[in-house]
Amino acid sequence: METWVIATSLIGLYLVFTIVLGFIANRHMTVDMEDFLLYGRQAGFVVLYLTVVASFHSAFAFLGSGGFFYTHGIGFWAAGAWTLLVGAITYVLGTRIWALGKAFGYITPADMLADFYESEAVRVAVAVVSVVFTILYIQVQAQGLGYIINVASDGRVTQNLGTLVLLVVAAIYLMAGGLRAVYWTDVLQGIWMYIAVWVGAIVLSYELFGGPLELWRQVVAQRPDLLTLPGPKGFFTPGMWVGMSIMLSFGIILQPHMMIRFYTAVDAKTIKLLGATTPIYLMSLYIPAALVGLGGAIVMPGLVGAEADRIFPLLLFEYANPWLTGVILAGATAAAMSTLDSILHANMTVLTRDVYQRYIAPEESQSHYVWVGRGIVMGLLVVGYFLSVVKLNFLVVLVTLSGAGALQLMPAILGVCFPGGHTLSRSGVVWGIVAGLVTLYVTLWLTPHPLGMHGGLWGLLVNTAVAIGVSIFTEKPSRETIDRVHGEIEKFVYGTGE
Amino acid sequence: MFAGMDEPTYRRSHFLPRTRDGKIAIGAFLALFLLAMPPVTHAVLNRIEPTVLGVPFLYVALLAIYCSLIGVLVWALRRGV
Repeated sequence: METWVIATSLIGLYLVFTIVLGFIANRHMTVDMEDFLLYGRQAGFVVLYLTVVASFHSAFAFLGSGGFFYTHGIGFWAAGAWTLLVGAITYVLGTRIWALGKAFGYITPADMLADFYESEAVRVAVAVVSVVFTILYIQVQAQGLGYIINVASDGRVTQNLGTLVLLVVAAIYLMAGGLRAVYWTDVLQGIWMYIAVWVGAIVLSYELFGGPLELWRQVVAQRPDLLTLPGPKGFFTPGMWVGMSIMLSFGIILQPHMMIRFYTAVDAKTIKLLGATTPIYLMSLYIPAALVGLGGAIVMPGLVGAEADRIFPLLLFEYANPWLTGVILAGATAAAMSTLDSILHANMTVLTRDVYQRYIAPEESQSHYVWVGRGIVMGLLVVGYFLSVVKLNFLVVLVTLSGAGALQLMPAILGVCFPGGHTLSRSGVVWGIVAGLVTLYVTLWLTPHPLGMHGGLWGLLVNTAVAIGVSIFTEKPSRETIDRVHGEIEKFVYGTGE
Repeated sequence: MFAGMDEPTYRRSHFLPRTRDGKIAIGAFLALFLLAMPPVTHAVLNRIEPTVLGVPFLYVALLAIYCSLIGVLVWALRRGV
């Protein structure tokens, strides 16, 4: 049987299974916003672990990271640093976000920030950042999915058709089972993608080199330029290393689909266990990626740009068993869909909670909001597909900025979750976010990464400076609110709040 | 009354750990994390030799640091930090 038939069939089977899981989740659901949007705040360790790691790693981590090792060499092993930081942030910050969500009933990041800073302007700014910058991730993931289907079918299914099919499948199980369906499918996706990338890399390294250690020896002998910093193209400068470590840890954790996950945990201990152990999965996923990328540089030299990013599927089609190739490409589909469904859900949650319930129809029933949420998913499906197939210049700009967009919420969130510093004002927060976004435009688009430091970090620095500066001269949140929120944090962390 | 005497405890900074275990965990994590950051990465660890079972030094050293960082997080969890 030909490789494309096996690969496409396995992906098809996988998609059917996710839809079935969605409808099973539907049977366990109650007509309640917290259940539909937050899994009823009952997510246990295993489910939460696998949904966090699966959502964190997108199609890029699965396919593109091999390409990064291929082009820029060992510098991408910095991934270990940012995945460790993700664990620490989850441990320290995630538990505080969970505690505040439980105490005050927060559902979205904007709920928390608008409550503390007593400002609708903050709610709107946060909601806009949450939606605008993550909706573009829908485009990125959907295009990635279309590409995977296109590769798996050996060009027989067009990228646009593949994108449409996979968006529709994700929307179906999300509408059916809400966040419960997303979590359950993420469990499957998290396991599948991890096994797939490891098995694929190990099999290829034995097939092509006689094993991983021999692969390393040959890279040392033939391509030593790939094994030192800043890499053959000078990409991994010190500033880039630090910038990527911060941007790809805080920048992803602060995206709404990740922050919402903290609200859903059944207790704080689950989040702490999550923080201590997620780096094991997240970091070790880049070990096989290094084997693929560096090994690919030996056996398939000369690829550049998008071709280099495809090194993993190229090696599979050339050297691996068709069944294994099918299983691994289905794993790549899982990687992209687990991120896509989480972002669809987060956008649906923000638009339902922060826009529809807040400003359009505040007094409706719980089931009304659940149905509105489902309608919003349909709308997002259309928007996501449109963004995926239409090439607009301004979208290219926004996609470039999107990775660092959520990072601009960092000063405001730290101000809520860490008592004791100088409290930011609502004006400081809003102007900080605006200044940060303008800086991103300059440092990521107009003059990328000035002085060798990642543009996202420049945005964060300017944001923080403006937020602090403006806060000195403008009104702080009321003492009553600061006492209420920070008192809850104190009680949660040290058990001594008032 | 001295200024600050009647201040609630939660106005004390949460950016600095208060317990002994908290201080050890934060200190160890930061110290190890700095080993995985420039200038250490680019100036000290940035070499291929000596290899370990054929794997370059930079890769192995960073892997050891990352595993140690996971160890710190697990230790903090076990100590209830």
